[in-house]
Amino acid sequence: MSLIEINDLKVHYPIRGGFWNRIVDNVKAVDGVTFNIEAGETYGLVGESGSGKSTTAKAIIGLEKATSGTVMYKGKDVTKGENRRKLDYNHDVQMIFQDSLSSLNPRKRIEDVIAEPLRNFEHLDKEEEKLRVLQLLDIVGLDADALYKYPHQFSGGQRQRIGVARAVATHPKLIIADEPVSALDLSVQAQVLNFMKKIQRQFGISYLFISHDLGVVRHMCKNIAIMTRGRIVEVGTRDDIYNNPMHIYTKRLLAAIPETNVNHREEHRKHRLEIEKIYQEQQATYYDKDGMAFPLVKVSPTHSVALPPHLAKEFEQQSENEGVNV
Amino acid sequence: MKRDIEDVTSISAADLEKLSKEAAAEATPSRAKIMWGEFKADKPAMASLFILIFFILFVIVASMFINTPKMMETNLMGYYAKPFTPEYWLGADSGGRSIAKELIVGSRNSISIAIGLTIISSTFGICWGLISGYYGGMVDLAMQRVYDFMMIIPMLMTIIVIVTIIPHYNAITLTLILSIFYWMGTSRLIRSRTLAESQKDYVAASKTSGTGNLKIIFREIMPNISSLIIVDTTLSFAENIGVETGLSFLGFGLPMGTPSLGTLIANANDPENITGYWWTWFPAALEIIVLCLSISYIGQVMRRATNAAQRRGKQQD
Repeated sequence: MSLIEINDLKVHYPIRGGFWNRIVDNVKAVDGVTFNIEAGETYGLVGESGSGKSTTAKAIIGLEKATSGTVMYKGKDVTKGENRRKLDYNHDVQMIFQDSLSSLNPRKRIEDVIAEPLRNFEHLDKEEEKLRVLQLLDIVGLDADALYKYPHQFSGGQRQRIGVARAVATHPKLIIADEPVSALDLSVQAQVLNFMKKIQRQFGISYLFISHDLGVVRHMCKNIAIMTRGRIVEVGTRDDIYNNPMHIYTKRLLAAIPETNVNHREEHRKHRLEIEKIYQEQQATYYDKDGMAFPLVKVSPTHSVALPPHLAKEFEQQSENEGVNV
Repeated sequence: MKRDIEDVTSISAADLEKLSKEAAAEATPSRAKIMWGEFKADKPAMASLFILIFFILFVIVASMFINTPKMMETNLMGYYAKPFTPEYWLGADSGGRSIAKELIVGSRNSISIAIGLTIISSTFGICWGLISGYYGGMVDLAMQRVYDFMMIIPMLMTIIVIVTIIPHYNAITLTLILSIFYWMGTSRLIRSRTLAESQKDYVAASKTSGTGNLKIIFREIMPNISSLIIVDTTLSFAENIGVETGLSFLGFGLPMGTPSLGTLIANANDPENITGYWWTWFPAALEIIVLCLSISYIGQVMRRATNAAQRRGKQQD
């Protein structure tokens, strides 16, 4: 059984207007997202800005109200606040934020920042709590002298590690990492990512890793979902996505990864332009008339793609035939 | 679960004392220290602080030794007595009452009312603004309509009417009546900052850490708008001295027989007093100017202390 199951999650924001301030339309930030996160794995959620990745994450952790759909954890729907409280949900599910500075209260010392979840969930006495904070600081590679400092006295990488320390403090089962390294420079990115991996091995934590950096996602994640305009367009293992992308949006996204090999610069450029051309040509067929992606179709046991209806039919027949063969 | 964390780190209970000492040595200076450094760097503010503290203590202590009802008795022998005489340091008014004594008791009354009014109205305004801004939505809508309603009431007129129709009132009831009408400005100011502040990630982080709403409001958000609160509170204290004084000047403040800075300044209503008997109103007017200036100097220093970019004191971190 999966650790957490997200089923047809929707988050719509009403647009109000007209006389009486009625709801005239909805912004479909997240529109029917379904995926499962297994225990101990890293699940990647990739997409451009405004594709609804962060909103999905916030709806899962309970910061954003879900319009419809369920998030099942331990057999309970945790989109309801009541269930979250009953399960001590935030004891098991924590979050790492993108902006390390604004996610740490500038008026609190590091000790209080890291101890906050401990105070709410574990109720240790003062000595034990301080010891635990020191141990957490040690795990994230910071010295004990950080204890009484304020967040602004640290560098970006150190701050993000403090954020990680806070997230692992209660020993959660799932950490939602909302673009945890996109505000950091490359060397620090590697540092924080490796360190997140190390913690995962040690504690068996699952991550929901949100990013728009495909290189980082490749390094971190086993399963990946590509999101655009509030819907998932392609789901698969790392191999499926990187070696056999089927949706034009995924192809375009992959083509956008910068190549460091300057010798083949012209070829890469040609390749990119080709993909872009295909994208512009086929855009109309891959999205429905409202500009939304089509429902997902299974193309292999691990791989699903939001294919347009005519291609989808082909695959369905194919899989039926295979079913008969088996 | 605890074992897991201990498996990964070499730190154990034995190191606790050593490490906390290390941490304490590197600790950032406290807010109080920073504020004191800031006062030391600004001489006028330092002088203002001492003037204000000394003056408030002086009028409170000195007024204990003054028998107010006796002081307020009319004494024909002292009719407009000149100042700087052994019996009347600052002269006397038309009733032969010592201006010096009236000034001390009056200052105590006025300042106590201003302090009480500031505490009550600011506390209420801050809570109102914080809660309204943090919860937003329907709560905000309802609370802001109450605010709007209070704003459209003509404040001064209503206070005068209430004071006139209440048969017996004293300094405390007057403070409470004034408090009803002086919390709105603060609440709106605090609400606007809270709206911005509650969208920040650290509030979301607190929520995911399982902290309750009230604790987030008062322990997370409030410290972050403390600079605004401090500045607003000091300035409204200066303003509130004026509120009671103004009412008493108009004759609707403290009941007859209770001296206040306002009643002393009201002596200036008589043109003859302005030209001939300046000592009846001048000391009180001077006192109000000095007090308000001091408070605004102190407010400036406090604002600078809470904003690292504006500090003038020695850098301590």
